[in-house]
Amino acid sequence: MELSLLNMLWSPVEEAAAFLNSLEVWEAVRPFVLWGQLMVFVCFLLVATIGRRLKLRRKYVELLDGVFNFAAFKLADDTDEEEEEDEAATSSDEEVVICPESPRAVPASHEGSFRFEDPLPYLAAGMRAVVSDCVTKSFTSAELRTWNMLSRTKRQRYLRKSPSLTVFWAVGFVLRWVFLMPVRVLLLVISLTTLIVLCAAVGLLPSSAFKRRLNKRVVMWCFDFVAGSLSIVARFHNPENRPTHGIAVANHTSPIDSMVLATDQCFDMVGQKTRGLLGLFMGALSRSSYHIWFERSESKERSKVIQVIQEHAQDPEKPPILIFPEGICLNNTAVVQFKKGAFEVDSDIYPIAIRFDLRYGDPYWYQNTFTGYVFSMMTSWAIVCDVWYLPPTRRGPNESAAAFASRVKSQIAHRGGFVQLAWDGFVKFGQQSEAWQRKRGEWRQRQQDAFARRLSSNEAEERKRE
Amino acid sequence: MGNKSSLMLQEQDIRDIQAETGFLPSQIERLYSRFTSLDKGDSGTLSREDFLRIPELAINPLGDRIVHAFFKESEDDHVNFRQFVRVLAHFRPIKKAQDNKLNAREEKLRFAFKMYDLDDDERISREELLAVLHMMVGENISDDQLNSIAERTILEADRDGDQMISFEEFCSALERTDVEQKMSIKFLK
Repeated sequence: MELSLLNMLWSPVEEAAAFLNSLEVWEAVRPFVLWGQLMVFVCFLLVATIGRRLKLRRKYVELLDGVFNFAAFKLADDTDEEEEEDEAATSSDEEVVICPESPRAVPASHEGSFRFEDPLPYLAAGMRAVVSDCVTKSFTSAELRTWNMLSRTKRQRYLRKSPSLTVFWAVGFVLRWVFLMPVRVLLLVISLTTLIVLCAAVGLLPSSAFKRRLNKRVVMWCFDFVAGSLSIVARFHNPENRPTHGIAVANHTSPIDSMVLATDQCFDMVGQKTRGLLGLFMGALSRSSYHIWFERSESKERSKVIQVIQEHAQDPEKPPILIFPEGICLNNTAVVQFKKGAFEVDSDIYPIAIRFDLRYGDPYWYQNTFTGYVFSMMTSWAIVCDVWYLPPTRRGPNESAAAFASRVKSQIAHRGGFVQLAWDGFVKFGQQSEAWQRKRGEWRQRQQDAFARRLSSNEAEERKRE
Repeated sequence: MGNKSSLMLQEQDIRDIQAETGFLPSQIERLYSRFTSLDKGDSGTLSREDFLRIPELAINPLGDRIVHAFFKESEDDHVNFRQFVRVLAHFRPIKKAQDNKLNAREEKLRFAFKMYDLDDDERISREELLAVLHMMVGENISDDQLNSIAERTILEADRDGDQMISFEEFCSALERTDVEQKMSIKFLK
């Protein structure tokens, strides 16, 4: 698998090299570029393998911070001119809330029965949804307040504004594509190979406590290596709450979430079986520990999976299971409804909040292909994130699984600073499905109930007056 | 998202739209970005399904009417960007110094009137009012009660006694309502 990946990457490189050789300027520049790449490679290798101890990654991030502040400063004086006037035009006191779980109609006016202006707030709410709605917004790449010189949109406008910014951007572009990206690709290949080989080696040992400890060490170090190749800089808060058994739940942003968490603690994963590079990866991990892979299309599998999770969670010898209850990736600004499956199990739940700092690089997968996604990450500055371990919690004696899921969701949203959405993640697709049609009917009915209640209370007042 | 969107909207188009609707260029670009993200089929136009794919709109009781408002202008059941922006321009907040055809109070009122007046005969009949009421309350209120509510509403606003509401009667019924505020939404730059 990696051989074909290598071939895929190598042939355009060969072509590019052949083309460049024909240019004379390349002759002059080549030694610098190659030496530069070698240096970056050595640096990254060091950082990836032992850099955690030396806090090298943090220094890199701080350097980038300075550059971004400069860019923000340069841009600030231009955008202020457009700000001016009109922020008070639309107040939201009397706004109708189109929220599936708790719809609110405008409070009753004293004037009496139905007036022609009563539907107007719903009209405005609908138009507001057409212009920008919270669900679609959470499924597209998040918007940044300042420009991080990566961003694929608005680039033309920013570049036109100030020549020094253009220079910075060009330098940054060369840096990222010529130096950072090839080195990262190479490191990724090396680290993945190491992971697979070591996991297979550990898997050969007979089951024992020693194997478990070794597995933990090995997997954590390997993941750290892989993370280093993507320049993942993670800061872990509250390590006293680090999960040791049971189930850990976290908000989901990207395929690399598990990797980020795995650099600090060894987890067993639950996930859907896939093919390709990820599948190979999952297979390798399975050799050394008890991961739970399933096929989502099998309906019987669900109860079987819950059963397996239950047994695993209640075994104190096994590592904690990592579950993403949202069931779908979001762009790291909001959390959607947590599915109650994981919360039905009777065990300790450790909530974890993961917040990425999107200025340095966006891990959300919005590109059309996996390679596009990987390249986008490889050519970012870094992937910086904060991970908060929240104290463990259990389901209360009279608490339903859904209520428990909601409670944990608010804890995570509160800690990570996310917007809480009451929507179920599956609204992203499956719009034609029966489940969606049914849900949509239910939710619409709740909006109608709220309005009718308001109308009836008006009616009662009218009749009292007559 | 992506470069595609900003390339396909020409400077001249932006200027034309600005002249017609009063939106700022940055607002128009943002709306274009939104338009292309709603356009799943990449066809350059939006269909009704594209609108109803927005969850908040799909569960809005007036969702279908709102979508209908966009399609009133188009002949072939597809909305292009100009039509899209023109409809949204009605909801632009009214600014003191600006005199624009599309978001003035009367235009907003006309938009609201057209939401009721489905058959475009310049009159809101009792049936049309009942249809809107039914969309708003669903099955929660009985037909008889709805009928009497509708009758009372028409009675209060009807001045010439024809049991239907004309645009003038509609405007005077909404005289004391802050239409400017109720029918304005914020457009980010």
